[in-house]
Amino acid sequence: MTGRLRALLRLFAVQGTWNYERMLGVGMGYAAEPLLEDLKAVDPVRHGEAVVRSAEFFNCNPNLAGLALGATTRAEYEALPGAQIVRLRTALCSPLGAMGDELFWAGLVPALVGAALVGVVLGAGWWAIAGFLLIYNGIRLWTSYWSLRTGMESGMRVGAAIGTSWLPRAIERVGPAAAFAIGAAVPVVAAWYLKPFGFSAGVGAAGVLMAGIALTRWFAPFLTTVRFALAAMIFLLILRRVGV
Amino acid sequence: MSELPVQAVLLLLLWGTVVGLDLVSVPQAMISRPLVAGTVAGWLVGDVEAGLRIGVVFELFALDVLPVGAVRYPDYGPATVGAVALGAGFPWELSLGLSSALGLVMALLGGWSLQIVRRWNARAIQRRAAALAAGESSAIRRLQYGALLRDAVRGLILTLGGIVAASVIKDNVRLDRQTAVALTLVAIGSALAAAVNGAVRSSGRKARLKWLLAGAGAGILLAVLA
Repeated sequence: MTGRLRALLRLFAVQGTWNYERMLGVGMGYAAEPLLEDLKAVDPVRHGEAVVRSAEFFNCNPNLAGLALGATTRAEYEALPGAQIVRLRTALCSPLGAMGDELFWAGLVPALVGAALVGVVLGAGWWAIAGFLLIYNGIRLWTSYWSLRTGMESGMRVGAAIGTSWLPRAIERVGPAAAFAIGAAVPVVAAWYLKPFGFSAGVGAAGVLMAGIALTRWFAPFLTTVRFALAAMIFLLILRRVGV
Repeated sequence: MSELPVQAVLLLLLWGTVVGLDLVSVPQAMISRPLVAGTVAGWLVGDVEAGLRIGVVFELFALDVLPVGAVRYPDYGPATVGAVALGAGFPWELSLGLSSALGLVMALLGGWSLQIVRRWNARAIQRRAAALAAGESSAIRRLQYGALLRDAVRGLILTLGGIVAASVIKDNVRLDRQTAVALTLVAIGSALAAAVNGAVRSSGRKARLKWLLAGAGAGILLAVLA
């Protein structure tokens, strides 16, 4: 197995040692290890310094971490000054975090989850779930591979490589798809649950829905929807106990 | 464990551990999404319908979570597995409310347990600070494997807690039909509120909001026709 393939596989555990001090840092160091192996034979001192840098503070979306990993690894092999590599690594945190979160957490995941929910309700069952997993993981695997390869090829010019890549366009397109899919999923799922209960029960659930939206907005951030749900359930049980 | 066979309990524990790991540590393949976690858990205990219904409710709650940066959020994966252990074998109209209540409590505990694991990870790093400063790759590997183990144990304990709580509730809690249905409706209404909140927040006030409304229109049409 090549160093690059091992690094790619290790990137799937890049958040393994997530903590509030170094965040993804140690996970990045773990993923960098196979890539830095060749440096050991060429320049052991530089290798030691590179290992130290690889595990320092870092944070970004895990699916785009390969861009930073590849770029900094190439910079290490090009024997660029350590301070410059640290600056590159630091500079990549915010954009890779923002773009990755927009693409995956606010885009791809809700888009596919929304589609899967509609599929489940319409009777696709396991196929909808399998489709969600296959499409998501296919895209994610390819993105991770592309990220590492692009980072390795571009090195210090990784910012320009990202700017001219497919990433910004994909982010623009996936957001509306996510909004549409979730928008479609909510009424479909609501009908799926509420049809067996009849009209009055539906009105009751709609009341809870409206109260949930209003109260969690008024009393945010303390009152989350989970806390609201638990409070509403306790309130209901008290009402039932006193015979209302 | 009452009612669930030992083999099913062991499979649920294994599945809950894998699902707990998937949320953050490895491989983030989205098997920790409640829709997946719940349906597979339902299949493992021989009640796919219960798993699916419970999974979808928690999926709606999970849509309110945007796991960006260092944000803190509930862990719905093992919680969904525990909820399925409670709801399996009963009509979902009667069991969904109580299962959801258990799952929500477990999800909050799961979110809290993530913070504990993260603090332990930081402490482990501090203990190996000298080795990290010396550039020892073996120290990085040990930290990584140790952290993965901690997260796996976290998932296992959460799932075990959920299954034990499910067993205790099954043995001790009796609800009349009206209360059980009312709890189910509260769970559904709250879950829908979470999904709407998440969708509106992600959409903001720009073009995405138009797409959200268009989707809602399409969804209402589908709901009427289906």
